[in-house]
Formats: sequence, structure tokens, C-alpha cells
Amino acid sequence: MRPFLYERPTSVSAAIAMASHLEARHVAPTQANTQFIAGGTNLADYMKLGVAQPERLLDLNELAEPALRQIETNDDTIRFGALVRMGEAADNNEVRRRCPLLADSLKFAASGQLRNMASLAGNILQRTRCEYFRETSWPCNKREPGSGCAAMEGVNRQHAVLGVSDACIATYHGDFAQALIALDAVVEVEGRRGPRKIPFAGLHRLPGDTPNIETDLAADEVIVAIEVPLGAWSRRSRYLKIRDRESYAFALASAAVALEMDGNTVRQARIALGGVATVPWRARAAEDALRGNALDDKTAAAAAEAAFADARPREHNAFKIPLGKRTLVRALLETRDMKV
Amino acid sequence: MSNSTNPSGLSRRTFMTGSVTAAAAVPLMAASTRAAEPSPARAVEPRDLSTISLRINKQAYTLALDNRTSLLDALRDHVGLTGTKKGCDHGQCGACTVLVDGKRVLSCLSFAVMNQGREVTTVEGLTSADGELHPVQQAFVDHDAFQCGYCTPGQIMSAIGCIDEGHAGSEDDIREYMSGNLCRCAAYPNIVAAIIQARDEIRRA
Amino acid sequence: MNQAAPVPKENQGQPVVRIDGRLKVTGQASYPADIATANVAYGALATSSIARGKVSKLHTDDARAVPGVLDIITYGDMDQTDTPKFGNTGASSIAPLHDKTIFHDGQIIALVVAETFEAAEEASMLIRADYEDEPPSASFDSKGVKVEPAAGKSPMLQEDVKAGDFDAAYASAAVKIDQKYSTPTQHHNPIELFSTTAMWQGDQLTVHEPSQNVTGWKIELARQLKVDPANVRIVSPYVGGAFGSKGPMTARTAIVAVAARRVGRPVRCVVSRMQAFNTQTYRAETRHRIRIGASKDGRITAFGHEGWEVTSRPDPYVVGGTSATGRMYNYGSVLTHVSVVHADRNTPGYMRSPPETPYVYALENAMDEMAVALGMDPVEFRRINEPEREPIGGKPFSSRSLVKCYDQAAEAFGWSKRNAVVGSMREGDWLVGMGCATAIYPTASAPCAARVRLTADGQVRVQCGSHEIGTGVRTVAGQMAAERLGIGMDKISVEMGDSALPPAPVSGGSISTASVCSAVLKACDAVRAKLFAAAVAGDGPLAGSGNAKLEMEQEKIVASGGKSAKLSDVFKAMQIGAIEEYAEFAPKGSTPEALKKLYAGQAEFHGGDQDKDSVKYAFGAEFVEVRVNSYTREIRVPRVVGAFAAGRIMNTRTARSQLMGGMIWGIGQALHEATEIDRRNARYVNRDLQDYLVPVNADIKQVDVILVPEVDLDVNPAGVKGLGELGNVGTAAAVASAVYHATGKRIRDLPIRIDDLIS
Repeated sequence: MRPFLYERPTSVSAAIAMASHLEARHVAPTQANTQFIAGGTNLADYMKLGVAQPERLLDLNELAEPALRQIETNDDTIRFGALVRMGEAADNNEVRRRCPLLADSLKFAASGQLRNMASLAGNILQRTRCEYFRETSWPCNKREPGSGCAAMEGVNRQHAVLGVSDACIATYHGDFAQALIALDAVVEVEGRRGPRKIPFAGLHRLPGDTPNIETDLAADEVIVAIEVPLGAWSRRSRYLKIRDRESYAFALASAAVALEMDGNTVRQARIALGGVATVPWRARAAEDALRGNALDDKTAAAAAEAAFADARPREHNAFKIPLGKRTLVRALLETRDMKV
Repeated sequence: MSNSTNPSGLSRRTFMTGSVTAAAAVPLMAASTRAAEPSPARAVEPRDLSTISLRINKQAYTLALDNRTSLLDALRDHVGLTGTKKGCDHGQCGACTVLVDGKRVLSCLSFAVMNQGREVTTVEGLTSADGELHPVQQAFVDHDAFQCGYCTPGQIMSAIGCIDEGHAGSEDDIREYMSGNLCRCAAYPNIVAAIIQARDEIRRA
Repeated sequence: MNQAAPVPKENQGQPVVRIDGRLKVTGQASYPADIATANVAYGALATSSIARGKVSKLHTDDARAVPGVLDIITYGDMDQTDTPKFGNTGASSIAPLHDKTIFHDGQIIALVVAETFEAAEEASMLIRADYEDEPPSASFDSKGVKVEPAAGKSPMLQEDVKAGDFDAAYASAAVKIDQKYSTPTQHHNPIELFSTTAMWQGDQLTVHEPSQNVTGWKIELARQLKVDPANVRIVSPYVGGAFGSKGPMTARTAIVAVAARRVGRPVRCVVSRMQAFNTQTYRAETRHRIRIGASKDGRITAFGHEGWEVTSRPDPYVVGGTSATGRMYNYGSVLTHVSVVHADRNTPGYMRSPPETPYVYALENAMDEMAVALGMDPVEFRRINEPEREPIGGKPFSSRSLVKCYDQAAEAFGWSKRNAVVGSMREGDWLVGMGCATAIYPTASAPCAARVRLTADGQVRVQCGSHEIGTGVRTVAGQMAAERLGIGMDKISVEMGDSALPPAPVSGGSISTASVCSAVLKACDAVRAKLFAAAVAGDGPLAGSGNAKLEMEQEKIVASGGKSAKLSDVFKAMQIGAIEEYAEFAPKGSTPEALKKLYAGQAEFHGGDQDKDSVKYAFGAEFVEVRVNSYTREIRVPRVVGAFAAGRIMNTRTARSQLMGGMIWGIGQALHEATEIDRRNARYVNRDLQDYLVPVNADIKQVDVILVPEVDLDVNPAGVKGLGELGNVGTAAAVASAVYHATGKRIRDLPIRIDDLIS
């Protein structure tokens, strides 16, 4: 690991000021010399592997603003402070009562220890677990732009079938983000340019030709909160995660579903797909296919077809297409049948 | 804060390198924008050691550490508490689980320098002064909840966290919430049985 | 009820708690990397990123410039040592720093030694190599592999076993199958990382390293370093999981020892999880072709088993499980052939039931297919093919309780409630499947020495250079002494894991309990003989009881007539404070050199298929229930029942735990474990516990172990059959059969994953 300076700002404004220098405007946060750390579960791992090489870490855990550590709930929104730990949010009764999808997407992620460490903001910014990205001796366009992609023709069972590009097929493995994108969450950011709100769907960037640029954030921007609007769909919501193991494994396919029903008719469906895409993935085509229709095996299957219409498999991950479809069908029907 | 050193006596390596200092000898750092002690002559450099103070098993320590040193390596190599184990060093196995401010965390993914002012509990800190085992420790013995014993300190610390979090209500809950601790000998059913026994005993107490 | 402590049945010992339990739950058990070491320097390996070729230039300047770096051991620096050997104690003949040739991905190219772990790691990552690389051959079907017959290449497979006229019998069989099966590369992944801590005091070298063979390593390390073995000591009091991975010594040990000598201080090298995948051994991928022919009423007339195994370029590592599969049932005729496939890979090594895991998997999956083809119940199919004698040499089994195991396991499992129609059982959205398979493991033992000391106050110390790898051998050795000397377990101490102790064989092949207990038994009996003689002597406390049968219990010597004498009084009469006896056990049939070999670190195995009078195996029957989601096809295993008969059970607690752990290993083999190889460049891809999946707690629900009573005094004086490797044999086939029963899909290539069932 590269040696680094360690500093501990005590306010958001101090953190931003300390991170702000010329470079911060031009470089992706993951490649900046100065990087923020909170839980460290993702960054410390990648620093040990030599994938992340910051020369200065700003520890956000001493930031004084109380809101950063609070979960505020009311009938219209749930607002998560950025430093709230995953485990805390997963165990929050109000969150579970108002929106089971949020709680389950956290509960089924990682392990008890990791959830106690990882902050919510850090979790949504977690980087891919692609093995070719993780190990520096392989070519990887995300880690080393222009070096190529070893996964494309390699062992790619874990890799994405949606949102892929010729440069990168690495999966975005997070779970919480699927709930957030389905629910139209908003990320509140503060930075040198002032505060701004980013719709969750605008936070992550498709790999395209620049898989090294993963988010819309600048290197001196700090996420301070995540706000989730609640509505008629919130309680009838569910996160289904399919994996090789029963627990402590990344999704091979997952579905975040929230439904607003009128009897058996779908008034509004909110759907995101995990484990199958390069970024948190909102399945709008599937939502459109369901709107105004009865929800049954047939319409659910049609929605799943729509969701994967543009899927592009590689040698070992073609199974993710039928699996992703079935995961969505199962999630839709299970969500429909929830007693709320 | 008390003036104390490693309860087992200064460990061999730390003694040699002098990286453990009696707390009174070094002024405690308040939370500040700089953890490292800047030398008056020059700016802080990445390789400079940082001074951190924390409590481990109710003893105060002040350590001078490389910023890169994980809490796990600090415990094992600098404090001499080798009960906490390294199984992967990447947060994938749970063998390094300790409690920080009462919460179970992975010490391999936590830079030691980030634990300024915190209270760390390791497996060595569980047994009472008269040698009585913690209920979780005793239950692990009773139910043969280990074979080689290497993942055991992590399992025990995780079990304590799991019970404390209220996630030991049912066998299925225990299985789910203990899944971050791999046991390659596969003592899992015995671990679940042990946690149930300990949970009931802790509840009674 | 405490399920961890089964009530002992006939010929089964008490479920005594582990003698080292308290140490293990308090963090006081000292694993080799825990050892307190003054002034230690830290080592970190640098490894190759190609699988075949040559290092043309190594760039170490950046690494040397890292503050705190003390030394870098690389090409040329090992020239004063002998190269590693492949064989009994050495993992591979590949000598990474003697030769710039790269034989496999992740081969050691340097060892950095630094003041701190952080500096060593940082520097090791700055080492760069220029290579003259050549296209490597990754595995089966890769261009450039060399395939050759395996028989005679390795002591594990002396010949391709056969019996009768297979070709004729198979050709004329009424019902037959001919299928191919495969198992993937697997890595042991004990949770303890591999490590070496080497320290010199003058010409005395002490190495702390997790080992299953301290005596063998002492000899081998001394040979490589060209020093007197008397000056080398290997210390490994606790081993954090081994499963075979810590049996053979790897190249690192000598490199770290050389580094410690060069820097003049102790050096500790803890190998990263990733690097261990390449620098340690593994279970190689295997392929199988199985042909079975039978009459319409289900009697097997022909059994053919061909196997293929991958190994490295230079070393003919072979497991050859046909010796066991060829003796499993009453086949009529047997034809086997094993081939070894040399590829650009590190040398494999033994991993928990090395031959049986892959070979019996193939056999038992095929047996289930055959039962389906015959329209027979798979248990019944096995029952009617139960042999009187093994089919290869016509020898009797020293004992064989397989049918009893099937009966008891089937009863406990509720096999009679199984509806044999494929896909007929269901619970909600989950398809239910049930399957079974046979477990078999050869019963062997090897020469072993032990020292037992009894003091006048009733304290017992047992010393034996065996290894506590989690099996509970320390506990059962203590139990053996406690039982023979009539002393409570609280007064017994057992020292193991040190080459300075009386030598024991490698802790592999499930021989330890039998070998160690037989040696301890012998030493205890020598102690008893001295005490008894003194007790009944003219001036002894039991004078006049010379013809009585004497026993030791509760710190007394008790004569059959009812008279007894306190141990302390016997010692008083003898005017001594302690009796210490050193005993050497050698199994029946040992060669005259067997004991000499013991001291030279070479275990001479007896038993299994090697003995003249009988073949010796432990057996078990395993039943598995699987659930397959009807939508998403994930596979879960809610229930496993295994019944095992393994001679005398020393301790029902530790025996149950080992068998339970074994079956869970089997579940992992069936559903999770596989090291993925990028075939373009012969490199492992998932070198960590994130993507090399082993079962987690939530994967395991109900696991029942039935210990079937069995008495077998032929196997060894302790009457013990090993069971550390028995439990995970067959499990994967039972899972595959259950998946077939649930879904109608017969999966022959492990692991069985959603991918196989979804389309």
C-alpha cells in the first residue's frame, strides 16, 4: 500500500476545503490524490490491493453535524444522514415499517460486521468487485484506462449483461442502490461549488468509453444525505436477492420492486435490477409494460422480457438473462401478494 | 486516563521499537484536523508515524503507528494481543472481528489511526478477573463450536455482537447474522447451538 | 440435550470436551504466526503474473528504495541451498528462486524483508519483472498439455486395478450406462493464513509454521539448507485448519529461513490469501468416464472407471481413486485407468480425502443414474451389490458395516417417505429432492512414537510430535492416557506439534488417531507394567496380589480381588517421583525400516488396500435433502443425515464434529467451491474468499451424524479407523442425486449451480 497522510476534518465545510485543490475539479474521486473515507470497507480493501492509491485520506467520522448520523422519517420521506451505518438503517423499525425494500436491501448486503462499519454514502459509492479490476496485474479499463478489459473474454460469470460497453462489463454489486434508484431517491451533496441535489439515477455513470469515471461526483464533493420519497408504493415493496450462497454473497441477480396497486391492477411499478448491470439499474421498460395491467404470471413475464430486451451476454454469464427475468417475475408476484 | 501499558507486559516487538508508550508520556490528542504530530521542522509526511490513543480491553494505550497499519495488525504486532486472527486481510472471512465501541467490526479493514479515542474489545478482554469464561466462550466449549479454533475468536466476538444487536432471536436469524464468519472446519450447527445457550444465559442475567 | 455430545454406544468413548477448548475460546492457543518474537522483520512475497516462460529481468530498485526494506531475496540468493523435491514431504520440485523458469502463475520471484509489514507489502508490490513468456497450457483440452498413464508415477497409484473380463461383461450387460463426470480445481482455504517465522540462534534454526508434518519438514528443510537436521526445529502447536494444505512443505520455508540468516534477525512471512492459491497446493480438477453394466435385476456385472487428473509440468502428482472405487461393490468385472495431464500449473497436493472425493463422487453419481436406469431404489441397488470380498484381490474386509449405515441413516432421514418420481415432491415454490451416496475411506496407520510421564501426584504428560489441526487428536491422546492410567482429564497435559517431541507421522490419510493412540497406549502400558510390578513386589503395597488382574482407576491400582493401593503409595514404595516411558508403535506388517523411516520423516502407511490379510476401510451412508426454487433455481440443502461406522470411536464429541464438518465440506464441493482458471493465460481468477465460495452459516441447517457401533481389532491396537476424511466422501454425489430427483436434471460437472438449472 502506498503511504498516505491521514487527516480528520471536524465539519463538512472543513472537509470540502481540505479536499479542494486544482486537481479535484478534473479527476474522478476514485483517482484523486485526496480521498474521503468513512467505513473504509471498500476503500481500505482496494488500497491494500493497490487498486486505490490515495496519498491523503480525509476521515469523515469526526464531522460534527448531527444530521449526518440521523435517520429522519415522516409520512413523505425518509432522510438518511450520510454517515448512518448500513446496519443501523437496516435495523430501523420505522424504515422497515414504511418501506421494507429499503430495509431488506441493506439486511441482505454484506455481513453483520461490514454493515456495522459501512456508511450509507460509502455503500452506494462502492466500486465493482470484478476480479480483474481487483488485481492489478490484469488489464482493466476501469483501473487503468486504455489497458483493455480482461473480463470480456475471460471468466465472466459474475459480470453484467445490462449497461455494458466495449470497454467494461464489470457489475455494480451494491444492493441498497437498487432500492434507492427504484424509489427515486435524491442524493444531497456539498462541495466547493455549493450544495446540490442529484437524482439517484444521475449519480452513477454508465461505463461507456470511460469506465474509470464511475459517478457524477467531483473529488471535493461530499454526500451529506440521501432522501427517499415515500408514496403509495412504499409499503408494498420488496428486495429479492438470488445468490450462490444463502448469505454473504453478491447477487447473481436481484430485483427491487415497489408496487402501487389498484386491486389487481398495477397503478405504478418501480423496478430496479441488481447483479446484472454495470450501474444501479432502473428497469423502466418493465415498469411501462406493467402500468395499467393486471399483475399475473403472464404480465410479469412480459415485464421481465422487456427488462432484459437489451441484455448482452458474454461466454459465462448468459444464464443471468433467464435468471434475471425469473428473479423479477418472482419478486413482482411476491410483492403483489404482500399483506400490507 | 490511567497510566498503563500492555497488561501482559510490554510485548517483545513493541518494546524493541518503542511504539507503545505509557499514556502519560505522550499528551493525548483531542480530535483535531491532524492526527499525526507535526514535527516543528517540517510538514507531516505520509510515512510519518501517527500517535493514537485508544482503550483496548479497558486499558489505555498510546501507540505510534504507520497510517497504513490496520487495527488488526496494531493489536497483533504492536500491542501483542494475538487472539484476534488474520484470515484474509480483506474483510471476507470475519476472523478479525472485534468490538469497537461495543459494535462488532472487522479490524482488518479499519486503519488503526481511525480508532482514536475508541474502546476496543478483543477475545482477550472477555474473561472475568477470576478466570470465569464469558457465557459465549463457555457455550462454545460446551457445544464444540470449533475444531481448529482459528476462526473462533472472531466467531465469539461476532456472536456477542449478534446477541447484543438482537439478531439471535431464532436459529435462522443466528445463521443469517453469523454468516460473515467463515468456519472452514464447518462447526456451524454447533456455533448456532452455542449462541442459543449463551443468549438465554445472557438474557437471564 | 447437547447434540454436540452424543451418548456413547458400544465401543465408543466419552464425549470429553476438548483439552484445549479453554485456550481456543480465550485467544490463548498460540498458532505459529502468533508466536512472540523479539526484533522480528516482516517478509512479503512477490509473485509472477505469467504462467509459463522466463524472467528476463527483475526490477527491484523501487522496492529497495522503500524506507525500512532490509533485504530482497531473489535469483542467486538461494544458490547455496538444495532445490526442493517433490514427494513425501515436499510439495513440488519447482525451485522458484533457483531457476528463472516460470512454471505457473503466481510463482515466487522474490521475498522482500522489511522492518514493518507495511513496508514489506509496499515494496513487494513495486517489484516488476520482464518476462520472455510463452503461451501456457491451462488444463484439460488446452493445447500443449502432456497426457500420460498415471500408474506407477506416484505412490498413490501403483497400478490400474482390474478384475475379470470387463469388456465382455459390459458388452453383454442388459442395462448399462456410460457417462462422464468432472470435478473442478479446489483450494483448501483454511482460515489460518500460511506463514513462516524463521529464527536462527547461532547454527540452530527454529521455524514456526503451521504444519501437518513437523518431523518430515525438519528433515526436508535441513536437506535444502544443507544443515544437520539436529539443528532444525519445526514448531506448530496449533494449526488453524489444514485439510492437507499444510502437509507438504513448500518452497517458501527455506527462502524465509535464508532471509532470516541474511538479515540476522527473525523473519515472519504471512502469505496473503491470494498468493496462497498459487504458492501452496490444491485439489486438481479431474475428469471421469464411468461405465456400469448390470443384469435386469440390478446385479452389477461390469464396472469401468477412467480418470484424468491435472498436475504441473515437472511433478506427477496423482491421487488415483480407482483403488477405492474398484473395491466398493460386488462388480463382477473391473477395468480402470488413470491418466495424468501435465499443464502449466503449480503442483497439486492432497486435500481432504484426495482420491475418494473426486472418484467416489463420479462412482456414486453414476450409481444413482444406474439405479434410475434400472428403475430401482438407489439404496436397494447398493444393498444387492454388497460384496462378500473386495473384487480386485478377493480379500475380505476387516470389517464393513455399510448396510447397517444405510439402514440407520435411511430410517433417521425418512427415506421411506420419498416419492421416487422425479419432480413429484414440492413444498410451496420449492422443489424437493432426496438423494443418497456411500462414503468410504481407507483405514491406515503408520509408525509413531510417544512419551508418557506419570508423576507421584497423578499428573500425566503426553508428548507426541503429531499435530492438532482441529481433529481433536490432542484430546483423544489425552483420553487414551487418562483411561489407561486411571487419571482424570484435568490432570492430563498433551504436547504436540514440535519436531523436538517424539516423532509422529504426517497428519494425513486419517491415520493420526489410530497411530498416536496406539503409541500412547503402548507407552501407558509400559508405565503400568512398572507400577504393577512394584505394587505387587514383596515390599509393595499390593504384596501378595501377584496373580490378580490389576487395573488403574481414580489414581489407584486396583486388584481383581478388591485390594487397592494409592498411586502415591506405589511411588513411595518405589522411592521415585515419576515414571516416564518412550514407546514406538509400528503397525502389523511394518518393514524392518519402518521405525527408521519414522525418524527420517517418512511415514510408512499400513492398512487400506495394502495389507495381505484383508482390506481395511471405514464406511458411511449419507442422505441429503435439497430444495430448488421453482422460479429462480437456487439450490439449498436443509437436511443431511450421515451414518458412519469407523471402529472404536475415541470421543463421540470430536468424532461427530469431524464427520459433520466433512459432510458440510461435501455440500460446499457440490454447490459452491471452484477455483476459476482463465484459460487464455492459465491464471487463477478468484483467488480470495469473496469469490472462492465456501459454505457460510446460513447455508447449513440440519446435519445429523449417526455413529454406528463397530468393533474391528484387526486395524490397529487402538481399534480405531480414521474418520477425518470419511465425512466428505460421497456427499456431493448425494446432492447431485437429490438435485436430479427434484428437477430431472442430472448434473455431472461440479459444482452444481443455478447456471446449470436455469435454462
